[in-house]
Amino acid sequence: MKKTLKVLNELREKGLIQDYAIGGAIAALRWTEPFFTQDLDIYILLKEVDDEEKGLVVLSPIYEYLKSKGYVWKAHWIMIEGVPVDIFPADPLEKEAIKQAKEVEYEGVKTKVIVPEYLIALFLRAGRNKDRRKIEMLLEQCQIDRGRLQRILSQYGLDEKFRELEEKGYGR
Amino acid sequence: MEGERKIVIDERVLRRRDLFEEEEVARRGRAKLPFEEKIKILIDLQKLARDWGGKKDVIIWEI
Repeated sequence: MKKTLKVLNELREKGLIQDYAIGGAIAALRWTEPFFTQDLDIYILLKEVDDEEKGLVVLSPIYEYLKSKGYVWKAHWIMIEGVPVDIFPADPLEKEAIKQAKEVEYEGVKTKVIVPEYLIALFLRAGRNKDRRKIEMLLEQCQIDRGRLQRILSQYGLDEKFRELEEKGYGR
Repeated sequence: MEGERKIVIDERVLRRRDLFEEEEVARRGRAKLPFEEKIKILIDLQKLARDWGGKKDVIIWEI
């Protein structure tokens, strides 16, 4: 994990990405009790936006770099130092989540983790059962800035989904 | 009523809901563990899923 984070930091240092943050289950686990998961989800901000504006996100330089370092694909993951990693180019909500992510250290290596309020919005948008379970854990086990959460939900049209979730009894 | 049955643990007499409340407190406590410690627990869970849960394709992270 430590070496994996160092490689991700290298991507930024070499200018292949502008920034990144840990999302998904591992980000949730940073704020809740530990639970089983299999992969490390990484959201990235790309430097080049020309192609993105055309609706095309080019990740080839990143994967070429990782391949040149000997990292291989296993199913849909790229295995970086023994950890299966999924890399997602960020959409507007995820871009904001990366910018607002908290800087933390893992065994002395600096990294960024998406904060609970943005994770809730992202899990809510994904909407699978496993996402709802993570929202419940976040609401129950860590401090949530309700004002901040409300602002994010309103901005991205997720208020109604959240209300429905609360009505079903999650996050009491 | 099922929820009102008493459970004796050492010298403590607890109702089921007391146990549930204690479990919630413990979960919030575990949420405050250091990130590194949580990743170690995650790896134990991955091993458990592979060795006990019969999920032979689970990848055990390297740390």
